[in-house]
Amino acid sequence: MGTISIISVEHSDRLFWLGRYTERFFTTLKALEKLYDSVIDKDQYGYREYLSAFGLSDVYNDYKEFFKSFIFDRSNESSAAYSLSRAYDNGIVLREEISTEALSFIQLALDDLDRAQNSNQGLRLALHPIEDTIFGFWGCVDDHVCDNETRYIIHCGKIIERLDIYLRLKYPFEIIDAEFGRLCRCLSGIPKNSPYHYNQKQLSSLVEIMGLKDGYTEQKDLAVSSLEALFEPTGRS
Amino acid sequence: MENISFPSANVKEINELLRRYGVKFGIYKNGEFKEQLFPFDTIPRVISADSFSYLEKGLIQRVDALNMFLYDIYHEKKIIADKIIPEEFVYISSGYLPQCEGITPPKKIYSHISGIDLVEGKDGEWYILEDNLRIPSGASYPLIARELTRTASPDCFSQSGIVDNRNYAELLRSAMDSVNCGGINAILTPGRYNAAYFEHSYLAELTGAALVQNNELFVEDNMLFQKTYTGGKTRIGALYRRISDEYLDPLTFNPCSVIGVPNLTEAYRAGNVAVINALGNGVADDKGIYYFVPKMIKYYLNEEPILKNAPTYLPFYEEDRKYVLENLEKLVIKDVAEAGGYGVVFGSDLTAEKLADFRQTIINEPRRFIAQEVIDFKDLPIIENGEQVMRKADLRAFVLSGEKTRVWASGLTRFSRNPDSFVVNSSQGGGFKDTWVLSR
Amino acid sequence: MKKINFVFSTKLTFDDYVEEHSIALRCIPPETETQHIVSCQLEITPLISTNRTVDAFGNNVTSGYIAKPHRFLDFEVRCTAELDKTKRRTDFMPCYSRFSEYTKPDGALYDFHRQIKNDSLSPLERAKYYSERLHEIMSYETNSTTIKTTAAQAFAQKKGVCQDFSHIILSLLRIDGIPCRYIAGLTESGGETHSWIEVWTGECWRGFDPTSVIFVEDEYITLSQGCDFGDCAIDRGVMKGAFTRQMQLVSSRITVE
Repeated sequence: MGTISIISVEHSDRLFWLGRYTERFFTTLKALEKLYDSVIDKDQYGYREYLSAFGLSDVYNDYKEFFKSFIFDRSNESSAAYSLSRAYDNGIVLREEISTEALSFIQLALDDLDRAQNSNQGLRLALHPIEDTIFGFWGCVDDHVCDNETRYIIHCGKIIERLDIYLRLKYPFEIIDAEFGRLCRCLSGIPKNSPYHYNQKQLSSLVEIMGLKDGYTEQKDLAVSSLEALFEPTGRS
Repeated sequence: MENISFPSANVKEINELLRRYGVKFGIYKNGEFKEQLFPFDTIPRVISADSFSYLEKGLIQRVDALNMFLYDIYHEKKIIADKIIPEEFVYISSGYLPQCEGITPPKKIYSHISGIDLVEGKDGEWYILEDNLRIPSGASYPLIARELTRTASPDCFSQSGIVDNRNYAELLRSAMDSVNCGGINAILTPGRYNAAYFEHSYLAELTGAALVQNNELFVEDNMLFQKTYTGGKTRIGALYRRISDEYLDPLTFNPCSVIGVPNLTEAYRAGNVAVINALGNGVADDKGIYYFVPKMIKYYLNEEPILKNAPTYLPFYEEDRKYVLENLEKLVIKDVAEAGGYGVVFGSDLTAEKLADFRQTIINEPRRFIAQEVIDFKDLPIIENGEQVMRKADLRAFVLSGEKTRVWASGLTRFSRNPDSFVVNSSQGGGFKDTWVLSR
Repeated sequence: MKKINFVFSTKLTFDDYVEEHSIALRCIPPETETQHIVSCQLEITPLISTNRTVDAFGNNVTSGYIAKPHRFLDFEVRCTAELDKTKRRTDFMPCYSRFSEYTKPDGALYDFHRQIKNDSLSPLERAKYYSERLHEIMSYETNSTTIKTTAAQAFAQKKGVCQDFSHIILSLLRIDGIPCRYIAGLTESGGETHSWIEVWTGECWRGFDPTSVIFVEDEYITLSQGCDFGDCAIDRGVMKGAFTRQMQLVSSRITVE
């Protein structure tokens, strides 16, 4: 009952976006938790910086309203809940590739999130089991998927998403650099004639920015756009 | 059967597990797509070893005869020449596809996966209600329900010799392998918004077949291929399609179809791909042809039919029409053109005025209907709000034809949640049960 | 008997690139009792590999697939054939007695049939008689219908082209239970493809042209046959692309030896 090693166009897309959305959900949740920790006693408008990192303006009355929307509101496209339902949409069509078991973790995370929203517990405590669930998801995917290319595509999506958020939120360089190294390893595993083969120009631009070390923050907008354009066709053949 | 103990896990727990593993079916309500659960009842239908071996023989006999009928109809048509079935009933059927004349599918198998619907009468006799030879669905539900029930209530499986039904994927895969014309096996789905998408993806996962949609397939040199993401192609040798005939190939059938594969019929005609189930099967599971299945069994196999049809009348025949018109209020009338529990009318539900109208409709279009005696079928217990209540239930048995014809030792038992209803279809709000076959 | 040469060509042009283009052509005439194909070549540009099958109705189907972007598709058939309509075809199929997608009658067609019904005529005479009566109330008008128009739709608007006249007569004959079939082909007058019908006499097929109201003789070349137009389309295709329009130029030239 192994997976099929021949990847269709449709599947490669779904795998990539499943990786991205699952990670966007997870990293968003993590970032929001960290932010929550700081707004409670440091700066109650600290969330505005988060908003501006994503080019959004403050339309919230207070941080509580902001967190409610960014964690639970599925109609807010920047929310964790929205990303999770997109992950579900991509996962549901990959059952035979990633396994029913792996898919069930996305369902569990959706349930956990619903439960957290209606819980009387403190927000962070209520969200806690969701992280375990996502770790369970990744464990299950890695355990089930034997084919390296399949694995590289989904991980590419995952790391690109992670880097995107880390760059925007100006995480320390060492953390970014480690993820960039991971990305390069994934990229080298994807065949040249696939839609997920990197564009050399964009990758070079990223390498250059990484060379600035801590100074990368000066070029973070360029880094984000290079990352976004990483799979653009290199040129007309 | 007294020593059987039922699962101790409650209905809610197992339904929760089913939900977690994505056992849902999609429906459109007010133009919006929603995923619904297919309610599961934990009390299984239990079939004794003796009953099953009787059913098995009868089902194999029936499906073999139906496969021979399909071959005959699309080739020599001996059964018509020999006046066993009037030709009107064959060629007027919307399931008869003249485009399939002369095509011989691999191993002459037309119906690889047959879903035969039966009920058990109060007299203990089994009756066939209908044959589904096109794209019968539902096997995945008892399959995954068994897995989850064994997880939730392992104890009840330790004692009573319940035949493991989790070999369905194996049966399906060997049916696909046996007709594969070279290449991989694939399951063609219309997509995730199809009501049976869970089943398509779950069966793909279990059989190792690729789950595909039409936009990734193409026919070149009369062979069917799947595009790969590196610009290559993978040949498909057996296509288990979950799309109906008329949409399957826009160059042969409905030209407006956007879910089909152009020129698939040519690849199939050339013998380069097996289409599972074959094209044109609708002529054999037509409600009008149903009446003739026992005659087919005698004709092709020279055997007495083992399983009975429900007593059926064809208004097409003068004598039957007279009986139907006189006894309409106690009969069930089925429109041969409708599927899925639609177009089924119980005479007892009609007012005098409606009965009179219906009689006229039957006189005008006698070929359109069949009439059956209402079978008083055995109710099965279900749990509703913690109470055990009795409800109508049927059984869809799955028969797989490959190297040999085999009956899956399980089946989909569907029940009506409405106490007054005989209609057990899932599209009409019914639930399902597992079906346990005992090994001794 | 007549020996003829014909060239049939179509040029299909799109206003933007198309790709993943699947085609099914029924333009190579079948070998039958009434027409012997001495030689026949089909040329398709862009150059693609094609395959030939014979469909259930006895038509030669040429199928092909063009993966790469292209803006046109041309094909040309060059054929030499010997026609002899004194011979008779006998390839019967039960579907020819049944209503089909295009020939299913509606209330108006049943009414018309009731008015003109004449059981004393032989099947072939009936085809002629029904056609004469139809021409009294329906006119031939170029471009008045499309390839999707059914017999009932064309009858409702009382105008149509050869395809519609064929469909309506097929529909009327099938109400009588007379087996009959649709033919797509070429005539000596050249130009675009023509359509006519064949009527089953009980023993063999006889051709009749409901548009011109004449019996079919040696100047008719059959390209394909079936229950209705749906089985007989000379060229069909499915493609992807952002094109909004396609233009097709069809021409045929027939010379008698």
